[in-house]
Amino acid sequence: MQKIYKTKRFYVWFVPIVTLLLSFNTSAQVQTKPLINSTLNGQVLDAKTQEPIIGANITIKGTTHEVATNSDGRFSFVTGQKFPYTLIIRSVTYKTQELIATGGALIIRLEENVSQLNDVVVVGYGTQRKSDVTGSLSSVPKENLNQATSSVDNLLRGSAPGVQVTQSSGSPGASASIRIRGGNSITGGNEPLYVIDGFPVYNDNASTTTGVGSGASVNALSSINPSDIESIEILKDASATAIYGSRGANGVVIVTTKKGKRGTNNVTYSAYYGLQKITKELDLLNGSQWAQLHDDIQVASGVAPSYTAAQIAAFGAGTDWQAAAFRTAPVQNHELSISGGDDKSRYAISGNYFDQDGILLNTNYKRYSTRFNYDHDVSEKFKVGVNLSSSYSTSLSAASNTGGNTLTSPNVITNIISTAPVIALRNADGSYNTINPYSTTVSNPIQDLEIVKNQTLITRTLGNFYGEYKIIPGLTAKVSFGADLLNTKQNYYAPSNSANGYTSLGYAAVGNKTVNTWLNENTITYDKSFNDKHFFNVLVGYSTQFSKEESATSGSKNFVTDLTSYNSLQSGSQTITPTSDAYTWALNSYLARINYSYEHKYNVTVSARADGSSRFGSGNKWGYFPSTGFSWNAGQEDFLKDVKAISNLKLRLSAGITGNQEIGQYQSLSTLSPFTYDFNGTLVTGFAATRLANEALKWEKTDQYDSGLDLGLLDNRINLSFDAYYKKTNNLLLSVPIPLSTGFATSLQNIGSLSNKGLELGITTDNIKGSKFTWKSSLVYSLNRNKVLSLGSLSSYFPTVSNGTLSVLQPVNVVVGQPLGTFWGYKTDGIFQTAAEIASSATLDSKANTKVGDQRYVDTNGDGVINSKDKVSLGTAQPKFTGSFTNTFGYNNFDLVVFLQGSYGGKIYNALKQQLDITNLSQNSTTAVLDSYSASNPSNVTPRASSSPVAQMSSRYIENGSYLRLKSLTLGYTFNQSSISKIHAKQLRVYIAAQNLFTWTKYTGYDPEVSSFEQSNVLQGIDYGAYPNYKTFLAGLSLTF
Amino acid sequence: MIKNIFLGILIAIAFTSCNKLNENPVSVITAAQSFQTQADAVAGVTAVYSELIYDAGEQPMYGRNINFLTDMTTDDLAAGPSAINPYVRALSADTYDASNDRVLAIWRQTYVGINRANVAVDKISAMTFDQTTRLRLVREAKFLRALYYFNLVRFFGAVPLVLHDATSVDITSLKTNQSTVTQVYQQIIADLTEAENLPATYTGADIGRATAGAAKSLLVKVYLTQKDWANTILKAKEVMNGGYGYALFANYADVFNKSAKNGKEHIFSAQFEANSGTGNTSTLMGASFTGFAGKVPADLPADTGVYNIFTAGDTRKAVTFYKTFTNPATGTKYTFASNYFRKYVDSTELSTPAQSGINFPILRYADVLLMYAEAVNETSGPTADAYNAINLVRNRANIGDLTAGLTQSAFRDALYLERRKEFVQEAQRWFDLVRTGRLVEAVSKVAAKTGVSTKNYLFPIPQSEISVNSGLIQNTGY
Repeated sequence: MQKIYKTKRFYVWFVPIVTLLLSFNTSAQVQTKPLINSTLNGQVLDAKTQEPIIGANITIKGTTHEVATNSDGRFSFVTGQKFPYTLIIRSVTYKTQELIATGGALIIRLEENVSQLNDVVVVGYGTQRKSDVTGSLSSVPKENLNQATSSVDNLLRGSAPGVQVTQSSGSPGASASIRIRGGNSITGGNEPLYVIDGFPVYNDNASTTTGVGSGASVNALSSINPSDIESIEILKDASATAIYGSRGANGVVIVTTKKGKRGTNNVTYSAYYGLQKITKELDLLNGSQWAQLHDDIQVASGVAPSYTAAQIAAFGAGTDWQAAAFRTAPVQNHELSISGGDDKSRYAISGNYFDQDGILLNTNYKRYSTRFNYDHDVSEKFKVGVNLSSSYSTSLSAASNTGGNTLTSPNVITNIISTAPVIALRNADGSYNTINPYSTTVSNPIQDLEIVKNQTLITRTLGNFYGEYKIIPGLTAKVSFGADLLNTKQNYYAPSNSANGYTSLGYAAVGNKTVNTWLNENTITYDKSFNDKHFFNVLVGYSTQFSKEESATSGSKNFVTDLTSYNSLQSGSQTITPTSDAYTWALNSYLARINYSYEHKYNVTVSARADGSSRFGSGNKWGYFPSTGFSWNAGQEDFLKDVKAISNLKLRLSAGITGNQEIGQYQSLSTLSPFTYDFNGTLVTGFAATRLANEALKWEKTDQYDSGLDLGLLDNRINLSFDAYYKKTNNLLLSVPIPLSTGFATSLQNIGSLSNKGLELGITTDNIKGSKFTWKSSLVYSLNRNKVLSLGSLSSYFPTVSNGTLSVLQPVNVVVGQPLGTFWGYKTDGIFQTAAEIASSATLDSKANTKVGDQRYVDTNGDGVINSKDKVSLGTAQPKFTGSFTNTFGYNNFDLVVFLQGSYGGKIYNALKQQLDITNLSQNSTTAVLDSYSASNPSNVTPRASSSPVAQMSSRYIENGSYLRLKSLTLGYTFNQSSISKIHAKQLRVYIAAQNLFTWTKYTGYDPEVSSFEQSNVLQGIDYGAYPNYKTFLAGLSLTF
Repeated sequence: MIKNIFLGILIAIAFTSCNKLNENPVSVITAAQSFQTQADAVAGVTAVYSELIYDAGEQPMYGRNINFLTDMTTDDLAAGPSAINPYVRALSADTYDASNDRVLAIWRQTYVGINRANVAVDKISAMTFDQTTRLRLVREAKFLRALYYFNLVRFFGAVPLVLHDATSVDITSLKTNQSTVTQVYQQIIADLTEAENLPATYTGADIGRATAGAAKSLLVKVYLTQKDWANTILKAKEVMNGGYGYALFANYADVFNKSAKNGKEHIFSAQFEANSGTGNTSTLMGASFTGFAGKVPADLPADTGVYNIFTAGDTRKAVTFYKTFTNPATGTKYTFASNYFRKYVDSTELSTPAQSGINFPILRYADVLLMYAEAVNETSGPTADAYNAINLVRNRANIGDLTAGLTQSAFRDALYLERRKEFVQEAQRWFDLVRTGRLVEAVSKVAAKTGVSTKNYLFPIPQSEISVNSGLIQNTGY
């Protein structure tokens, strides 16, 4: 039934297209071979500098014949046209010029284009005149693209209003979490869709995680070399993103890589080398402090103290475990690119080597990548091309972020800092000391870093071939085929003398995951103008994408020798149950868009996409995503044309529906999982359902409304862009709790809704534009308010926290009327100072167990007892606003970029500090516990130290996460042409830079930019053993021949 | 030419490149594909057993979680300093409330087990393979469903009595109101009466499945809990004289001896095997033995009371507690400051202490004997039969006969004491104290547990369950 339905849909759509193409084909064949009637020579120069313009494009009006200028700016035009004819000369960043050629050699001087209105911007499935755009989109400034970083997502930080980037880990090669105009989904994915040279990629950390090893996920986007990127466009509102339909709700990031230019031939070598170190270390107890506290607690609880005063003094500073674990680590990047082109072909080839050591011992990320972009004009009408990149990256990581249930379990970060300072790092003979009387395992966390192998190898090839055919002037058909082949191998070995391998006498595991995605896209665009007043651009297309994921893991333990590591699983005497898995998904889409502009003043965009996804219930495979946008270039109206101060004024309105399909596979089906039982010692496998089927499962749909204003003042020296938006996501995919008496805890349903509303402001100014000194500023401000509107029949629920220690505390609550990421717990009210206070107050524990010096909690509902009903919102991880401020200075050959970035009003749950404050006599604590309540130090802030305090979720560990950071500071020097001509170079720039140089924050943890649960939308702002952030100092050069 | 090729390609694409949108998972089985063959049916029932010992990402029901409710809340057990879960601390202090995550875990795990049993009963009953095996599998599922409901009704009182899998995900249709305690017991007895027709014994890899004797023994316990003394005696006699071959081990230590697994005293046990993969995380065993070096385990005896009830010659004492242990990695012998629980410490698996291979006894013959003695004493006083039954248990522990000529009341007290000594950490203490109305009296003797009150005779229905199913009525006092 369904197949027939689909097939029919197919014919309805495709037969007319094919017929159309065939009819154009016949008309095209009538054309005759052109005769040579004229030859024209000329040169194109910059009107101001008189320097030749390379790669300028020259066409004869009304024909498709075009040539490009060579490295001297010269061109030669051989054509069948007879003089006189009208030439159109175009070059990026210059004003397009038209002139009539009569036969003589021409010198054409192009004026630099100061009006951005004529700029062309990249939009979904094409480009558009900036003046005609109706949607909200931002281009990432060049300064941001030039930052030294391992991956694309980091380039987006502070680059555009409405884009929030949170680094989840300082681990080399780790990913950042990106939210464009807030998170729309609770259960589904919230990362934007990346469209890399036309290939849509959802950056899911899971695609490079096999389940072997531990630590922060390796970012799949790291496999793309950021220096290959020519431009990044961020599509934000529905008018811009609805063309990506079911994947548009989280915003779209269009990445275009560098292409060759006609008539050029450049060889560029660029490189940088830098050193990184931790931004901040935690203040932990030293040896004497720790031993003294240890004794104090024992005395207070009636136990004989362990250490004498002399012993305590002798410990002194003790072991500084942080100093032993963190290091100054080098980072380097080398790149060679060759690009150029002639009349018929353009090419760009690059090779890149990136090598970053982590600030934590034995962590590293390396990437070897190549790119080949090639376009060829087969004929005047037919063009083919390929964008192909291939990379191999290796990552050595440590078990950071959320792995592990307790402070001393596999999470290596918590393990290091919680190790008591009285434990020696090394034995007298220089070997690592593995005896810790306070630990159950014989190991040393620093030795663990060195000997545990935790490796991820990623091979990725992303390629896209296309053919483009101009059927008649203005009508272009394009067919492209692409593939994204992502292969991940993970290796893990914990030797028998490491914490993780100790109980199992060596633990080895390997995992493989292959995610192959195939794409075919077919589009037809038609450009037509009437009377230079009506401009039409029509796009129709069909796209189909298919992805298959296969994975397997295996492992064994109990090794005689550690020598074979993970390379000989058969040497382990006990096998770990192997796993294998496979998933597929498919997406079929029809898309259409009409842009209409009247005199480039009144612009309308109407777009729609129909997406059929395999991920949804049988009754809800297809989703429809329409949008419309309108913009008015009021600045072009007569009544404003004469206002000198206003060079550009544009008003925008848009509305539309976008979707989210990132819910994983097979979620609509009731699937079975294996459950084993040991009948008399024999392991037998059983099967049982793990969820109820939900055939009605469908898309999350986000309704989005946007209104915006673009204002250019003083000849566009001040540009301002302001947007206000409202987004409401309905049919929210939610694992709603259902009565446990059904045998299931949750059911994935389209229940609930949430909203995001916000304001965005971007201002760029040309403050000083002298011949020697220039100063440009850019301010980015984003404000987003997120609110859960409905959770179906529920008013709130506690999302599962995938960490044993934190899950019992239920730190986060999803509550109707509150934003996502709301922390939930008791409010504290100082410390009990007297027994009378205890007697007269409500207490959490029984009165008998509550002692003077214990934390006092607020009885918020006034019922005389403290219990879970007294837990309230403790604030949200979502910031009130974020922003950045970039200043670019130029003085003669020097350039200086100062990039400040910040976030205000978000809270951080400092779970690491909470666990470190548990003074259980075996682990270290922060120096905050030195202020613990005692009779002689009646603190009203820090409770008494005891041997077994229980962590409670309370306002005590919710901290202010606001920060302002000098994200980067770059000083560059570009050599004069004359001074480098001796080495036949065209350009040479050297620079020094610092990243994360200063951070102003009240947050007491490692770094306010933290998210232990990485891409999760409900568990934001939790700091528990995340890999700390670092600052970088680097020097680099870029040399072009 | 090229144009034609190009168009040809386009046409070719147009007719080939539409991907199918059906979900045909290759790596997982769907519910619609299950219960097709006899092997499927066996696997369905295996999953019902599995819930006894395994729950992904959570501590298992038997082997850990049930002990929080049946032992941690009583005078036997207390949370040690390394117990970091505030809810465990609250259970230990008897200050727990409806938000307690361990109470929630038991509620959830039990209903997961019940649902799997419901699915197995309904699906297998409708299948057509060999009738003997089919009926056996249905009866095994019914035995387990009865066990799960019996735990539930004792912990929570009136609970929703769900007997079939949900057919829709509409939340309203998923809500079930509480049935009365009597209705739940009627269902338990009906299921167990059917399960009495199970085989008396199994061979090979089927050993460990529910038997007729297990069904009858569980009935003994159900009747005893309801104070139906006549039926308790009747069923106990069927177990003792029904030719099942049950007897006490000569050595008490063999009850927890891996090599004596499923021996003559074991009537029904949660089956564990060391390091058997994903299905075994018997952490109770590990928790009793977390360290070699002064680090205290998460569970401790509540006070010296439970240790001191054992007389010097009682062989159960050394099986129940330990004070010294040898680190298998270094050979170092450690002596601890106080006693810890030993029953589930697998001495051959000390390197992986959370992977003990020792079964958790749910029903064993000593229990049947003591239940029989109790019912006889309640009906006709301390008769010779009653003395005989309790003395079998005492003599095996090397402590000689119970003083002859006790009054009914003194015999009752002696029997209660015997049960406490016999079943430390076997998920019996709280049930026994509640059943006999002694919970507050006994537990309040422990200084850290003086918060105990009559509301503790039932656990609170988890708050999250009430928020989803507003029709549920909370137990008194919570």
